[in-house]
Amino acid sequence: MSASTPFPPTPQFDTREQTVQSGNTILIRLPNGDTKAVKIDKDSTVSLGRLGGFHANELLNEPFGRTYDIVDKKLTLVPPRTLAEVGRFFPEDTDATNELINDGEFVQPLTLEEIQALKQSGAHASEIIKMQIEQHANYSLKTEYSKEKYKKRKEAKYSKTFTTIEPTLFNVCDYWFKKDQARIRDIRVDALSQILNLANIRPGGRYIAVDDASGVLVSGILERMGGLGRLITICNIDSPPPYPVMVNMNFKSETVTPVLSSLNWATAQRDHTPLVPPVDVPSDQIKSERQKSRLNKRKAATDLLNGTREDLFAGEFEALIVASDYEPFSILERLVPYLAGSASIVVQSPYVQVLSDLHTKLRALPGYLCPSVTEVWLRRYQVLPGRTHPTMNTSGSGGFILHAIKVYVSRLCGSTRVDLGVRYNDENANAITSHRRPKASASNSSNGVSTVVAADVAMADADDD
Amino acid sequence: MWSTAREIAAGDTVIIWLTRDVVQHLVVTPGKDFNSKFGNYRHSDFIGLPFGSKVGSRSGKGFIHVLRPTPELWTMALPHRTQILYIADISFIISYLDIRRGSRVIEAGTGSGSFSHSVARSIGSSGRLWSYEFHEARAKKAREEFAQHGMSDIVTLTHQNVCKDGFNLTDAADSVFLDLPAPWDAVEHAKQALRKDRTTRICCFSPCMEQVLRTVSALNDAGFSDITMYETLLRPHDVTQVPVLQPISEIEDKLKKAEEIREIKRLRQIAAGQRSHENPHGEKRKRGVDINEQEAPAVTEAEDSGSGKRLKTDDEMEDATLSQDGDVSRSLDAAPTHIAHAGTSSPAPPTKISVSKAITEVRGHTSYLTFATLLPPMPQAPPEDAPSLGSETV
Repeated sequence: MSASTPFPPTPQFDTREQTVQSGNTILIRLPNGDTKAVKIDKDSTVSLGRLGGFHANELLNEPFGRTYDIVDKKLTLVPPRTLAEVGRFFPEDTDATNELINDGEFVQPLTLEEIQALKQSGAHASEIIKMQIEQHANYSLKTEYSKEKYKKRKEAKYSKTFTTIEPTLFNVCDYWFKKDQARIRDIRVDALSQILNLANIRPGGRYIAVDDASGVLVSGILERMGGLGRLITICNIDSPPPYPVMVNMNFKSETVTPVLSSLNWATAQRDHTPLVPPVDVPSDQIKSERQKSRLNKRKAATDLLNGTREDLFAGEFEALIVASDYEPFSILERLVPYLAGSASIVVQSPYVQVLSDLHTKLRALPGYLCPSVTEVWLRRYQVLPGRTHPTMNTSGSGGFILHAIKVYVSRLCGSTRVDLGVRYNDENANAITSHRRPKASASNSSNGVSTVVAADVAMADADDD
Repeated sequence: MWSTAREIAAGDTVIIWLTRDVVQHLVVTPGKDFNSKFGNYRHSDFIGLPFGSKVGSRSGKGFIHVLRPTPELWTMALPHRTQILYIADISFIISYLDIRRGSRVIEAGTGSGSFSHSVARSIGSSGRLWSYEFHEARAKKAREEFAQHGMSDIVTLTHQNVCKDGFNLTDAADSVFLDLPAPWDAVEHAKQALRKDRTTRICCFSPCMEQVLRTVSALNDAGFSDITMYETLLRPHDVTQVPVLQPISEIEDKLKKAEEIREIKRLRQIAAGQRSHENPHGEKRKRGVDINEQEAPAVTEAEDSGSGKRLKTDDEMEDATLSQDGDVSRSLDAAPTHIAHAGTSSPAPPTKISVSKAITEVRGHTSYLTFATLLPPMPQAPPEDAPSLGSETV
């Protein structure tokens, strides 16, 4: 079989445009390595602080990932930097050492004023740096590595280049994590990736999410659903939740509108009837066009709310994904009844204690199969010829994840009774549980034995599973 | 891919969950049996049950859970033909390579198909996965599996050595994943297969640093940029419950009591010695007790119940100390409750707490993940006097 078989060139669905569009909020990488979000509006000027400004139209319809130099308020395209420019041709061994280099020596005759003057004259960053190097008294004593570091430092200071960053889920999550990791509840990109996989997010799936993490989960779920399926989020406010991370994703409306609806904790309650203003006003009482359009809007909102509630209560969702400030077990109690059998339950927390407590509660309930708590771990490396090593600074924690699978318990062999999802902790489960091989009473946490040794816990795990 | 129906039907692939460590799969075939140390089952018993059901064995001894397959469960249950990728690496690669609905992805080699299933799930029915495997038997097995799992429409499996013969594709893929012993030999082929009208990405999965360095060099030579490398792991935690930790004041009191008892014992021994020396006929017993009562009134009360009118032997003193210990620990258990009642009217605080720590032996290394980006070619006219110092941070 050959892979060269042609396949129908179906139009590829994209959750966002592949080029920069007016109205986008795009990420750009600055010379010092920082990432910044800027709004691109047609016919406006984009200002980048020290780097200066440029006309937004120059970026429109450009692919992401390109590097530009700002010269006289205009953009010049710069080729992507290869490792060669970062010093590919370093000698394997260098004789230079810092033996003769002392701190505090006067090495740079170029004064601050002279550099300022150079900058004002419009000299390019590379010229200024070249001049500084030429005048530097000890530059030739430096090792190649040290020279490279010196150039990079100066570059961060004078260069006026920037690179646009494609708003992939990875890049957006990375940007938010570096910008304000508390606002996304420490959900580092490795954690987000695991959550999305554990929750089995796919195009066409049906999911419930509780996202108190600025929308980083919702962004990830929507990105992976690709405009197909259903996502209901439950929030703690009366109005639609803002999910600011979604702004950086630059989703098309086709990615979001057909898929996402939100309820709050009150409207998500089955036995609660939301108080909504009346929509069926007799036509003789409608006095103006304005009132009519207001009533139409109100009716649309009410219909949307009722439709979303019906969707939720219909149940059979494929996963529940939670990253919330609230007590997680109370969330699960409310939402797990709407999950299908075999659905994934994924709960994230910056704190392992929260998940440990939840784990203990779930372990006692037969409706949760194999709850497990994991911690994510990630390390990035600098890869340069002769200088490959883990980065010196790294993030300390990317959060913790609890995963469990919802199972139906009240089923004996041969039974034809179809169980309802809400009966997830049915007492009948014991009928089967009692057939288990006997286990040491010490492993049962509820019978007052004070010490639980690790071996017992492992046993209990195996049994519970 | 797999069934999305609520109930299990004949012909469905299901995951049989026995324990955390024993997860198997089977295709529901009426007439067949499933036997394990957790009981015996007929496949036909599963038909009509909702996925996620707990099923008791026919003999009533043992039970299993019958689950809907997911790529993650498949990774736990799949027959290993090679070393496989696990969720931490798989999920990270899928994110970095921006694999989502409709993506066109290349993977080499197919191996046991752990990564393939995850990709197939993420790209959906409008996506495309070209998978290459140079081992003929493994390729055949994987092809059967993909067909069984309803993935034939989106996965094209080719038995081919991509390092020698490439991918037979030009400008077709959004991303490439290479899990090969010598990925550097496939980098140029990968470049040819990647589309040039948009940003594309590559990931090379290698366990050794030496492989990484050669790969990085090859990627650089081929014109890839943004070369970077990650390592990611998953640390499973063991959650246990332990009693609320005792405050040190409790043990302080206990030690002080033990100290007092030891002193009483010493004095009694002295007294007994004196008696046997001076008054061997027993009339002075009462006096000995008096001395005790004067010198250690607090302790005698506790001891009275068992002591009676005669002096304790050493053994009996030991018993007394032990029972004292017992009392202390009993009162310790009750202590937090008393404090709570005294302090607030809230319910008694838990006597146990949940604690967790990473399990004793964890996976310490899987592979290095080397990533790089291939940008669409620059427009024709190259910019004049392009500065020698770019902006990219490495």
